Amino acid sequence: MKSWMKQFLIVIALFVAAGVVVAQEGAKILAGAELTRVVPTAFYFQGLSAPTQMRNSAAARFGTDRYVISGLVDTSGYSADIRAKYVGFLITDSPITLNGESLPSGAYGFGFPTEGKMTVMDLGGKDLLSVPVTNDKALRRPRPLMMSADPGGVRLYAGKDYVVIAAK
Amino acid sequence: MRHRLVPLVCFSLLFSLVLSAQTQQPMGGASTGAPATYTSRRTTGITDPSAPVVFEDVTDKTALANFRHRSGEAAKDYIFDTPSGGVAIFDYDADGRPDIYLVNGSTSAAMRGKEKAPRAALYRNLGNWKFEDVTDKAGVANERWGFSVAVGDYNNDGRADMYVGNFGVSRLYRNNGDGTFTDVAEKSGVARKGWSTGASWGDYDGDGRLDLFVPGYVQIDLNSLPPRPGDVGKSGVAGCQFRGVPVMCGPRGLPGEGDTLYHQKADGTFEDVSVKAGVHDPEKFYGFSSAFVHVDDDKLLDLIVVNDSTPNQLYINKGNGTFEEIGYPSGVALNENGREQAGMGLAVGDYDNDGRVDFHITNFSDDSNTLYHNDGDNSFTDLTFQAGLGEVSIPFLGWGTSFVDYDNDGWLDLFVVNGHVYPAADEHQWGTSYAQQALLFRNLKGKFERVGAPPGTALANAWPGRGLAIGDLDADGRLDLVINNLDTKPVVLRNIATTSAHWLGLRLIGDVAKKTPKDAIGSVVYLTAGGVRQRQDVLSGAIFCSQNDLTLHFGLGAATKIDKLEIKWANGSIETFDVPAVDRMMTITQGK
Repeated sequence: MKSWMKQFLIVIALFVAAGVVVAQEGAKILAGAELTRVVPTAFYFQGLSAPTQMRNSAAARFGTDRYVISGLVDTSGYSADIRAKYVGFLITDSPITLNGESLPSGAYGFGFPTEGKMTVMDLGGKDLLSVPVTNDKALRRPRPLMMSADPGGVRLYAGKDYVVIAAK
Repeated sequence: MRHRLVPLVCFSLLFSLVLSAQTQQPMGGASTGAPATYTSRRTTGITDPSAPVVFEDVTDKTALANFRHRSGEAAKDYIFDTPSGGVAIFDYDADGRPDIYLVNGSTSAAMRGKEKAPRAALYRNLGNWKFEDVTDKAGVANERWGFSVAVGDYNNDGRADMYVGNFGVSRLYRNNGDGTFTDVAEKSGVARKGWSTGASWGDYDGDGRLDLFVPGYVQIDLNSLPPRPGDVGKSGVAGCQFRGVPVMCGPRGLPGEGDTLYHQKADGTFEDVSVKAGVHDPEKFYGFSSAFVHVDDDKLLDLIVVNDSTPNQLYINKGNGTFEEIGYPSGVALNENGREQAGMGLAVGDYDNDGRVDFHITNFSDDSNTLYHNDGDNSFTDLTFQAGLGEVSIPFLGWGTSFVDYDNDGWLDLFVVNGHVYPAADEHQWGTSYAQQALLFRNLKGKFERVGAPPGTALANAWPGRGLAIGDLDADGRLDLVINNLDTKPVVLRNIATTSAHWLGLRLIGDVAKKTPKDAIGSVVYLTAGGVRQRQDVLSGAIFCSQNDLTLHFGLGAATKIDKLEIKWANGSIETFDVPAVDRMMTITQGK
């Protein structure tokens, strides 16, 4: 085989491989059995375990094996000050970004203690990062929590407010 | 791909504890935003000296002043202490005068047989604001922990029957036609156990016989009760909090209860078809109110269920004995911001006279009530704030609500009964109170404005309100109200609004042979007068565990003649009728 042809095939192969990688990293919003298989029924945060509101849970798969899972929990067992900052959990099995801010793999609590911002906390309640939310005024039927596709990854919605989650 | 996921899920589950009382949440636990501190209560003492006097409190002039509602102890340690009870206005003796039935609660001691149970009461309307307590004669004292009443002539004998929803075993009071009732719940197959709330009668399958839907609220085991507020801190009991204050637990954290649909068979008994029909509520939301109503205006009755702290459900009747739940896609499940609210009461009516029924749902304090406008095609839009019902309702904890054209101008106004569930509301700067004023909104052709309360008048008073029922108790062409209050006497509000507007009252009698229930529940009336086409539905249930008089009342404004009266009977047939005169009650029989 001539060397130019080898180079051509290598380039083609690289493009194909790159395409596969892109496809693997494409986000799929999970539903039905795929969703319930990955969402925990309860979540520990700051001294208590609280049940997940399964109807208000969502998950996305990046590529073939990278998952981001989120859900609201019943927070009643918490004191008022914790309830003011904590509404649900975010689990990721690989590094992601939230509106461009890096978040390593792990399990986190989140909430909206400051209007217009989503705060992510470690399981002890320590603030890790806070990102501004975008208000999607055009969203016709908002839900307490849901995910939808976004050109940059997936949108994690709480009502009409969302942040964009992207795989790193 | 599992190798990454499993450890993480396990990681979160590793810390998961067996759910305990610590995870229980107060009623109305849907997030309503950051709590604020207020320097004044906004739910009592709001008066306007320049406002018109619309209602006169005539309770003490009637026998109803002797009724005392009671539900649990004053501390309200448990969730079942707080939501009772409903009230019905209905003409049980068919004398043309609407009568009043007041549901009563109970106590734990009474449930254990250690004290006399509180009694429900039936008051016969003698005219001229005289009422006679006929409870004993009628045999309807219930003496169980009552919550709701729904009226329907289930056996099509021309006499109104009552379903009384209890915490415990519910009752079906069959009207014997001689002033007495017989509880036939067991015999008929509707002796529902558990916690039955705002039921609704309706013939969902078009066989001419009323069926019955009963929402379930919370599963309670009296032998294993959640922690009381007073127990917090003892032996490590965390209990439940509202704004950092110990309060009763629930409904969140407590197991919910499914709903029940009873189909009436040809022999007059009922069968539980909840699962088959797809309305059994497998997620066990905390049901409080329901109504069979024509949402899509086909021939089939649809069903709405209002749930506390969980999404509302809207079931569209598919005509094959099953329903499709479309709460989320219809927009009725949540408010406009996608938030689950603490739904309590339900008003059903065409407030903007566009020919379609709309819904108004009452919610917890620190949250607004919600007005769902029916856009057609099974789609609703939350227009609460645009319609003027948002900001004003936020400090109130709403219960019974009903559309009512109190001024007879042809536009449905709105009444809301309020009252908090936590006695601690009076001890903290929450901007709300335990007893609360009721809210009356005047409909200005699709927008609402609060009707002020002159000092010293009925609407200036605050009550721990729950149930509400509407009917023209004195046959003067103006709609009156009865409110059932928690742990105290009820309130009878006589409509004394100054108005020269005209009106028409309609009693409908269905043709059972044509498969319309005798009491015409499920029928819709379209009345055109003065250039306005109004719609009213013959409806059972809704409000909050209560029942309005089945007589339809149309305000006509200045109109003195009816241009068109069209009735779409429950069997789907349509008839038009001539109305010879207004300012009168008229009885219309199908096919005659």
